[in-house]
Amino acid sequence: MYYVINLLVYGAVDAMACLGLSQQFGIAGVTNFGFIIFQAAGAYAAAILSMPPDTANGGFQSYLGGWSLPFPLPWIGAAAAGALLALPFTFLVGRRLRGDFAAVGLLVTAVLVNLLVTDYRPFLNGDAGLAIVPSPLQGVLGATSTGYQWAYVAVAAALAGGVYLFVRRITESPYGRTLRAMRDNDKVADSIGKNLLSLRTAMLVTGGAIAGLSGGMLVGFINTWSPAAWTYAETIVLFAAVIIGGLGNHRGAVLGAVLVPLAFEEGSRFIPNSQNLPPNLIPSLQWVAIGLLIVVFLWFRPQGLLPERKRVIAVPEPDAVAGSRPPGPAVSRRPGPAGSRPAEPAARQPPGQALSRPPEQAVSRPPGPATGHADVLQAVDVSRDFGGVHAVSGVSLAVRRGTLTGLIGPNGAGKSTLLALLAGTDRPSTGKILYQGQDISGLPAFRRARIGLIRTFQLASEFKRLTVMENLLTAAPGNRGDSFRGAVAGRRYWRADESAAISRAEAVLGRFGLTDLANSYAGDLSGGQRRLVEIMRALMAEPAVLLLDEPMAGVHPELARRIGTALTGLCTEGMTILMVEHELAIMDEFCDPVVVMAEGAVLAQGTMAELRERTEVVEAYLVG
Amino acid sequence: MSIFLASVGFGLITSAVLAIAAIGFTLQFGVTDVLNLAFAAVMTTGAFVAYWLNQSGVSVWLGLVAAMAACSLLSVLLNLVVYTPFQRRGSSPITLVIVSLGMALIIEFGIEAEVGGVDVSYTMGQGRTFQAGGLILTTVQLVIIGISVAVMAGVHVMLRYSRLGKAMRATAANRTLARNCGIRTARVIALTWALTGALCGLAGTVFAIDIGSFGPTSSDLFLVLILAAVFLGGPGHAYGAMLGAAVIGIATEVSAAFITPDYKYVIAFVALLAMLAVRPTGLLGARA
Repeated sequence: MYYVINLLVYGAVDAMACLGLSQQFGIAGVTNFGFIIFQAAGAYAAAILSMPPDTANGGFQSYLGGWSLPFPLPWIGAAAAGALLALPFTFLVGRRLRGDFAAVGLLVTAVLVNLLVTDYRPFLNGDAGLAIVPSPLQGVLGATSTGYQWAYVAVAAALAGGVYLFVRRITESPYGRTLRAMRDNDKVADSIGKNLLSLRTAMLVTGGAIAGLSGGMLVGFINTWSPAAWTYAETIVLFAAVIIGGLGNHRGAVLGAVLVPLAFEEGSRFIPNSQNLPPNLIPSLQWVAIGLLIVVFLWFRPQGLLPERKRVIAVPEPDAVAGSRPPGPAVSRRPGPAGSRPAEPAARQPPGQALSRPPEQAVSRPPGPATGHADVLQAVDVSRDFGGVHAVSGVSLAVRRGTLTGLIGPNGAGKSTLLALLAGTDRPSTGKILYQGQDISGLPAFRRARIGLIRTFQLASEFKRLTVMENLLTAAPGNRGDSFRGAVAGRRYWRADESAAISRAEAVLGRFGLTDLANSYAGDLSGGQRRLVEIMRALMAEPAVLLLDEPMAGVHPELARRIGTALTGLCTEGMTILMVEHELAIMDEFCDPVVVMAEGAVLAQGTMAELRERTEVVEAYLVG
Repeated sequence: MSIFLASVGFGLITSAVLAIAAIGFTLQFGVTDVLNLAFAAVMTTGAFVAYWLNQSGVSVWLGLVAAMAACSLLSVLLNLVVYTPFQRRGSSPITLVIVSLGMALIIEFGIEAEVGGVDVSYTMGQGRTFQAGGLILTTVQLVIIGISVAVMAGVHVMLRYSRLGKAMRATAANRTLARNCGIRTARVIALTWALTGALCGLAGTVFAIDIGSFGPTSSDLFLVLILAAVFLGGPGHAYGAMLGAAVIGIATEVSAAFITPDYKYVIAFVALLAMLAVRPTGLLGARA
């Protein structure tokens, strides 16, 4: 009977830990190879909060604290300790550091923290660890009775259930969608206004708190805790569990917790150890099996036993979309002057978006400079060197409001680099970037995105494991559910914003004729369709200035023309677009003015007709 | 003073062993783009290959050569059977790191299942002891330092002057571009695994000689030192790894003498985290 209880408590603890890891790794893509030290922190915290001072506790252990606090304070302290421990590591997960480097940093941390705690006895009794940690309420209830033990199982299971509901609530919110977008492509998430550092910090802290609580729960039951219980390899067991259960699926994490740590570690401990086997054989083979499971699953079934669920958002039949034109056979469509933009649902217009898209409808271009700074985006003497290579040198450029400006030049002319400098994906070595007349050189990409400066990428950059609809929704600004607090507040808090965003996304999908694919994974689309998704997603972000990097590369010419027409329409409505493109026919038809770059500098600027007259331009690019 | 000099002596040997491993690790990562956390496990394999031969009466120095060959082969296989298929499928770098951790478990505990959990040591003489001031080194230790210097010089010459070295640098800088320039990158990568695998086997054996008695998991903490040296110098940079190994090796041993041996890894750890936080490209590196 004790065995069953033991298994159940361990199961609840492992399930909880795996849920924390699933949230961090499976949903947000934060690879925390030091996960186990957060559990350890919780266990130690719960221990020293509940134990009496070391001098009063038999005197054979030495440890900090010893506050004899009553339940549930030690468990709360455990969660808090896990959360607080996460804070020093946030510097590892910012924008600058590659995910695998951060993972190595955390792994090394886990190894060394274990070593330090082992070697330094006064802190937490070193190698021997803490023993006779009191069980919760043991003075009142009598911790050895079967009733108490079953109650412990019930409480542990209930808490694990609570954690499940909590992580599900976060994951299924707009905030959770943002986390998954970051997991799929952090650079792109950054470019549509997501603050990676704050998202990852939130995940480290949340996962840390969950791990800490699981540690507190465990130590209250087994009453001892020592460094041997939390070697770095234990983290790998949890990773194995989450990978096998299914990345991105919290139920999978629970299943993985039952299958891997529980079945392997706890279950096989009770396999009768045959007499003629060497003592170390079974544990060694267990570790070999964990390693094999990880590699084999990542190869044969990377999605795990319970794959991530597809989040289907019901899209009404195209005909039923109120106010928008039926997309019809998209090929022959030529949008009229004003009718190209479907009616927007009224519920939108989030706060802080005043400068995006001034509401001048059906005004013929160009909109006068009355609406603000005429040169909405400027580069002033901007340079960018890559170790001696001058990718961009001394470029000054002004993009006028309401224009569809083209940017052409031979390969290596610095077009994409310039775009990155304008969008904040990269920083100039010297020079300034002005937006609406203000110096934004110091703003990171996500802040520029939030004030209406949105870019797309040369290489396909869809969020692969999000549906087309979700790809669009991630970019919608001002969703109340797109914050940790909003996510915790629950569906009712953000439902209105969400449905407004869905209506907008439906309209955009209808406009580009992709309604049918709304619930397909973006990663499954064709190259051309993915470019469309990216453009649509950028539009969802309500840009005032849109920077497009070869939006028509690899796109069918017919479709390219449709995109061009749509972009012209947007400019008529007041948007400003700067577009890098190689296809001169596109430039001829849609772009005015066109900027020519070569060898990192601006060579000329004007209409295509003017440019064709200029020999140096023709030599540099047009013929070549 | 003599404590200081003696600890510098220890530091020199640690640096020498570390340099071999760190150069292997950093070249492996730079050229193949696999952050191979199974590196220390492969080192251990080499140490045990030499041990098994040593047990049957073969000299450790011959065993060392066998270890190099075995680890070279093991690394090539690891790449061919595990890492390349994952990379070809387009797995993310982080997936490969997890896979390499899985491989580390398989190799390390596979050895433990075979040999058991007890530590072993080579049967070998330490040779004469040399003394200069407070610096005390045995012949074996001098040989290890000599090997390390030879490896550094060899890697330098190879990267600088040989066709393979240039092809490796080109592949590290930009694999696609290198391939388009007619460099057979697949072959360069396979050769890199063979070469760095040999360095790995060499490092594993001299590491085992240096620490005296070793077990299947002895190299776990050494991996931390390798990573610290590699990141200090900038991942992918051979010269950075040499510099990093010198700094980390001497710093850990000197701090062990003057603070306490228990915490000698702390300095490596602090160095690693500081580099990750402040300058992830390393002291000598520019590329992210």
